[in-house]
Amino acid sequence: MQAIEYFEVECPEPLGGAYYRQITNDVFLDHNLLRVIQKMHVYIDPRVPIFIAVGILKKITTRVRVQDIANVNPQEGKMTLVMSDETYLAPMLRIFWERFGKDHVDQPDRFTVILYNVKVDPREVEEMVIADPSASLFRDLIYALRCTAPEGFRVRREVYGNDRFTFVASEDTLDHDADELVRQKFALIEKEA
Amino acid sequence: MILVPITYKGGIYRHEEIVNLIEDLGGYIVQKHIIAQEVVLQSFVPKDDVELIRAIAKPLTGEVIDSPLVGTEVAVVSMSLEIHHLPHPSCDIAEYIRRIGGKTNMVGLARGPGKRIATLNDEERDVINEHDMAVFLMGNFESCIEHKMPALLRGVEVPVVVCGGPDKEVLRRIVSPPVDGYVGNVGRFMRRTKESEELNKLDEIIAEIIRVLTKRREEIANDPLSVSPARLMDVIKEHIPAIHGVTSPTPLTVQMAGLRVKLPFDTFAGELRRTEIEDGITIGDITEVTPSRMRDYILVRVRPFSETNTVI
Repeated sequence: MQAIEYFEVECPEPLGGAYYRQITNDVFLDHNLLRVIQKMHVYIDPRVPIFIAVGILKKITTRVRVQDIANVNPQEGKMTLVMSDETYLAPMLRIFWERFGKDHVDQPDRFTVILYNVKVDPREVEEMVIADPSASLFRDLIYALRCTAPEGFRVRREVYGNDRFTFVASEDTLDHDADELVRQKFALIEKEA
Repeated sequence: MILVPITYKGGIYRHEEIVNLIEDLGGYIVQKHIIAQEVVLQSFVPKDDVELIRAIAKPLTGEVIDSPLVGTEVAVVSMSLEIHHLPHPSCDIAEYIRRIGGKTNMVGLARGPGKRIATLNDEERDVINEHDMAVFLMGNFESCIEHKMPALLRGVEVPVVVCGGPDKEVLRRIVSPPVDGYVGNVGRFMRRTKESEELNKLDEIIAEIIRVLTKRREEIANDPLSVSPARLMDVIKEHIPAIHGVTSPTPLTVQMAGLRVKLPFDTFAGELRRTEIEDGITIGDITEVTPSRMRDYILVRVRPFSETNTVI
């Protein structure tokens, strides 16, 4: 986890902890999440049993605009968009349909979108926000943590907000001690700042 | 005549010669795969004739490899069939066992994960007991393995190898009741096994499985089977044509002391029991034909010489 400023796995069983360090690393690497995490602390105690992951996310602005995926060429009575990346084509078309109506939007082939008779400045089209990948970040993060945590830990609590996340899982009902542990782990992370 | 398990790998061109040779020598082909231009034959051949097959295969650029697991069926018991255990490590290990000739079935437990709730239900227990042996793939924590094993091994009668995260010695100490083999430092992981260190670990698992099965073979040799399961396979192929219509990769799965016949029990059990092997001795005389817990298959267990007083 070289990309992360602070990454620790704490476990009363040293060997088990080392394995979980590797598992966490592999899962986050697989899900392409290392780049969004600044600090993370994982605590596992199989005797309780409890799994806690707390972390701080990097501040990222990942909003995708039309100009990021297409070249806008204004012509007489129409605007031709030459696509360079198809990933966000579908949400882009949906936004165009809503804004301009289906009559004014045409897609003759995979890499071309043509807007007919739209009364907007080409600059404005270029600046239109079509997707925000960070919106699904929480879902991805929780999925990755579910894969990381031992499978039997099915009672879960997840908190996300202000660029921080908390994931607590256990086999048994989560009691108030978990909150105290979460606070302690966050204190550890913040001390490292 | 002592039959030894081997795998023949070679091109599809003139492979029929090898098939005929093995059959003429009195050997049995347990499984035949044709993958693109390559043929893989898993077979039992007379020990003295292995070199002959090797010599005849040489001009065909065929390769003869010793495969100690040919003719065995191994249950790979995964705690669940969730992303936590699949495809790594469960599939990696199962695939590695298949490479050296074993037939593996993956048994995903309904209540495998979790320390408190882990248990084995009767169907899982019976399915595991239908195999020659079981490989239990456990997790990384000592305390969990220690807590779970008594529940997961309850009623399991076949030899068991336990793989887990802690060291081998630790596993030996904490697994109760004791099992036949232990492989340490291979618990749950979420990456493909491709580094040499990881492959060595897989080799270690294989070595442990071979050791356990060799011991089992020796036990069987003390009281020999009334008929070799491989021979029984040939008899069934010859007398029950319906088996050729089964699309499963191994319509007849050879085990060390039995056979799984992938035909419906109610329809074919009677016919199977009445099938004559030799000199008026029928399959029903020297085996137990029972319904398998796996779908509606038939499980044939060959009875030993001490029970039947017959060896054919």
